[in-house]
This record gives sequence, C-alpha cells and structure tokens, in this order.
Amino acid sequence: MAATLRNVTTYDLKLAAPLAAGFVVFFVTPLVILLALSFQTDPQGGHFGLTQYVNFLGDSFSLGVLGSTLWLGVKVTALTLLLGYPVAWLHQRSPGWAKGVIMLLVLLPLLTSVVVRTFAWVVILGRQGIVNASLLGLGLIDTPLKLLYTEGGVVMALAQVQMPLMVLPLITALSRIDPNLADASSVLGAGHWRTFRKVILPLSLPGIIAGCLLTYAAAITAFITQSLIGGGQMLFMPMYIYQQASTLQNWPFAAAISVIFLVAVLVVVSIFNVLGRLSRGYTNA
Amino acid sequence: MLLTRRTLMQTALTLGAMHAFPGLTWAQARPLVFATFTGSWEEAHKAVLVPAFRKATGNADMVLDPMLSVDQIAKVNAAKNNPPIDVMLHDPGPALQAIAQDLVEPYPVEKSAHYKDLIPEAQVPMGPSPFFQVVGITYNPETVKTPPTSWADLWKPEFKGRVGITNLNSTLGTGFMVELAKMHGGSESNIDPAFKALEALRPSLAAVAANPGQLATLFQQGQIDISPGNFNAIQILKARGVPVEFVIPKEGAIAFKTTIHIVKNSPNKELAFKLIEAALSPEVQAQLMEEPFLIVPTNTKVAIKGELAKTLAKDHAEIAKKFVFQDWAKINEQRSAWIERFNREIKV
Repeated sequence: MAATLRNVTTYDLKLAAPLAAGFVVFFVTPLVILLALSFQTDPQGGHFGLTQYVNFLGDSFSLGVLGSTLWLGVKVTALTLLLGYPVAWLHQRSPGWAKGVIMLLVLLPLLTSVVVRTFAWVVILGRQGIVNASLLGLGLIDTPLKLLYTEGGVVMALAQVQMPLMVLPLITALSRIDPNLADASSVLGAGHWRTFRKVILPLSLPGIIAGCLLTYAAAITAFITQSLIGGGQMLFMPMYIYQQASTLQNWPFAAAISVIFLVAVLVVVSIFNVLGRLSRGYTNA
Repeated sequence: MLLTRRTLMQTALTLGAMHAFPGLTWAQARPLVFATFTGSWEEAHKAVLVPAFRKATGNADMVLDPMLSVDQIAKVNAAKNNPPIDVMLHDPGPALQAIAQDLVEPYPVEKSAHYKDLIPEAQVPMGPSPFFQVVGITYNPETVKTPPTSWADLWKPEFKGRVGITNLNSTLGTGFMVELAKMHGGSESNIDPAFKALEALRPSLAAVAANPGQLATLFQQGQIDISPGNFNAIQILKARGVPVEFVIPKEGAIAFKTTIHIVKNSPNKELAFKLIEAALSPEVQAQLMEEPFLIVPTNTKVAIKGELAKTLAKDHAEIAKKFVFQDWAKINEQRSAWIERFNREIKV
C-alpha cells in the first residue's frame, strides 16, 4: 500500500455499485431492448428501419393522441397546483396539532390503492353520483350531467389522485421559508397580497417546480385513472401503447410509441428543469 | 464478510449462469401451471376444476395463474423453450394467434376419453373448447319495461343517451361489430356496414367502455340501461342485487368458444392433458353449469338444466340453432385495421 493520506472528502464510487448494477439490469437493458424493438419494421422481426417512427410521426391522429396526452398533463398539473398550494400554505400557518391532521389528510390517499381512489370517482361522477344527485336536489339541473367519460372528469379525478405529489414538495418548500421574512415585508409596508407575490411565491418556486414535475409525470402515465374515468374512446398514450402491444401484439409499433412518448416527456421535464434553474436565479436576485 | 472482487465476480457469474440456464435451479418438479382467466372464471376453476384434477391425478401439484389471453401469449412467447405456463385458456382471437405463433401442442385426440362427446364446434384439434361464452343484450329491467328482442332495439329513440358498448380491444366489442356488419349486409371480411350502423348509434351512446368489466360498473352506477353483454358477467351483477337482465336477441346470441391448450415445450405435458380431460369431463361441466357459475357446457353428455335452460337453450340442438359462431380467422386478418378505424372515428 502506498503511504498516501486517505481522502475523506470524496466517497468511494464503488458504494453505488449495487444500485448501479440493479439499474443496468432492470432499467437500462429493457430500455435498450425496447429501443431495438422499435426499429423493427414488422412484428415478425427481420428487417430494421424507421418505418414505425414514420408511421407515428406522419400520422395526424397519432400526433393528436400525443398532443392531447401532454395537454392533459398540463391541465391536471395546473389544477393540482391551484388546489394544492392553499393546502400547503394552511399547513404552514397552522398550530402543531393541526399540522399533523393536515399531513394525515394529505397522506391518507397514498395509503389506498389508486384503483380504489379512482373507483370512488366513478361513484362521484356517475349519473346517480354525488355531484349529479346534489345538483338535481338543488334544482339547478333537470337531467343528470354527463361527467363520467369526459375529459373534465379525467382532469378532476387525476388532480385529486395525484394531489399528494404536489402538496408534499410544497409543504417542504414553504416550511423552509423564514416566517420573519413575511413580518419584515409587512413592516416595510407591503400588504398580504404583495408579500405573497414578492416574497413567499418566489421562495417557494423550487417546491412548485418539483411538485409540478412529479404531478405531470404521474398524470400523463396514469393508465388506470385515464381508462376508468375516460372510458374506451378517449385515447391517451398509455392506452394507445397497451392497445398496440397487448391486443394487437404489434410490439415494434408499441415500442416506437413508447420511445416517442419517453422523448416527449423528457422534453417537458427539461423545460421544467430550465424553469427551475431560472427560478433559483430569481430567488437569489 | 469480506467482499473481494473475486467473490463478487463469482457470485455474479453464478447468478448469471442460473439465469442463462434456468434448468440448473428449476428442477423438473415444477407444479402444473394453468393460466385461467381472472374473476369469476378463476373462482369457478378453483372450486370445481382443481379438486377434480387433484382427484384424477392422486393429488398432483398445480397452480392457477389467472391472466388475460394476450398476457399468456406474451409470457409464453418470451420463454418459448421453458414456458412458465403449461395450460393456456384463450378467447377465439388470441387462440388463433397462439396457434399461428407455434406456441401450442396439438391435443392428443386419440387418447382423449371426452373429445368425441363434445359438440362439433368445440372439437378443435389444436385445443378443444371446455365452455362457451355467450353475448346477448343486457338491460336494466327497472328502466327498460319491454324487454328488447333484437340488436336493432339499441337504436330505438327511447334509449337515446342510455346505450353502452365497449371498444374493439375486447372479444365482446369485436364480436358485436361483426354481428352489426352481418345485420346490415356485411360479414367478417366486410365491416363497413357496422361502422355506418355505429355512426347512427352515436347519439344513443352514453359510454364506450374500455373493457367489458367496465360495462358492469356502468350498469351498477345507472350510467347505462342497455348494452351488449356477456351472460356470465351479468350473473355476478345479478347475484349482487344489481337490476340487470339478459336476453338472447332474435338474431341469435354471439357465441365464443373458449379453448384450452397444452403449451409447446411444457415440462408437464402428461398432467396438462389430465387437467384438460377433467375440464372436458361431463362431471366437471355439469357442476360448472350450476349456480353460481352458470358456465355453458360443451359436452353433449351434460343435460342442460336450471337457469341456463331458462335463459339460453334447453338442449344442445337449440344451442346449435341459437348460437352464432363467428369466423375469427377472418376477423384476425383485419382486426388491427378495425381498431385503428374505431380509434379515429368513434368519438362520443
């Protein structure tokens, strides 16, 4: 052994080897296989080419499915943020015992399966569901509204199902803000709204971005909720992939769709990341 | 324990070898694996077929591994030489795919005691049919006062906004489309009339379900009042007290033969044969015909009784008359094009 001093400030990369190995075997390898599969020109295999990609990208219907899926994510994320921010804010401003209650309420949905949560929405949105029953009872409508199997219904259900993913990062971000800052702001003459806009909101931006990222990714890939609330004719990417791979056994096309979806999501995620970096600059300014 | 690079490599290599040659660890004593369908089929098979198989084989080990047809095909395809499943159960579409992909053995017909007793439609050399599935009209008797008598009743103005269908991912949805085509002068190879008829049905549609299971939920929630439906799926709802009834329309019921197959390269071929024999036997089929299973028998030695005789057919001659079997070889040829077209055209 050479008599050099051990460097204690850097970690041995070998410590990450088990995780890395697992990652390679269970994630990278299937991904590579997926990629290879997507270049097959027909399900029987044999020839390789870009046919599947040309088929998808040259088809307005398929592009429409991709577009509506990405747009669905935007709507769900916006709604989740709108509904989730006040909850996180309330958590921050509550006394200790109430904090516990709010945290429990936020976490509770995570303890039940997503199928159960989604079925609850089937019951809520149905023709004889809670929403229609109350509206009919109040005399606001004469015939039940169609809520189930509509895009609005899907957005509502997804927003609720994915809510914890938004609220938890927001709570973390808000709890890191020094409460004195708000007091200082009001001493200096800012009203509540101005304090919120100029102090709290910018400081919580990292939490907003993290929450949006998680919610967005979860919303666009939520196969179960999308198909249970959206029904059989509202086609989003996860269902499109399932249909091609499972019902039609057209694995190459399914693989190509998956790769395109993956790339599209990565693009959106990088946009979020850029926003995150900008927000850090904004915060430090 | 000291982890040297050498021991690590050895472990990795051993693990790798075990993966590459599963025979090393997977001794021949694997229990028989039967991939049945999920839900009521699994319950029925667990209650009746498994005990019968155990009795016939002197308690041989077997496992039920319920999954969809398409998943069975994917799993066997992924490990053709050492399939994780010994006996597959298929709807007609996937059955033909499995046969075309060379995943199943021909059934040893000459050895079989029951094959010759099956009704002719059920005698399939690549895998006989232990039961039929029947699709007719299901409706809510509380809101639909006069029971429907024809598929054409779905287009009646009083059902505006009350009709449910499924998309073509399911056997039920595809079979229904073929029936529609036939009603309007089309056939398995000419689906055009069905799409035209569906276009006319559009104002009536309350829901296009993603799978037949969802139709059941929609009935339960009062979202739909009438839809094409599977006889056996309806029995579960009825048993739970949901107001729903099943009728065979005058055009006949759409019938699917569900076939059972020995997987190619299965290490348990002999046991697989015995399981299928049990599934074809009159004793098992008679028991499966009883409440609460109500599964349509294919063995002519089983006398049709009870609820089945009341709603479906009183004997095998009537089955032959009332059940419409479709040509799934023709359907499979164009099914992906139909699904594509359905995706694009049917927006409610």
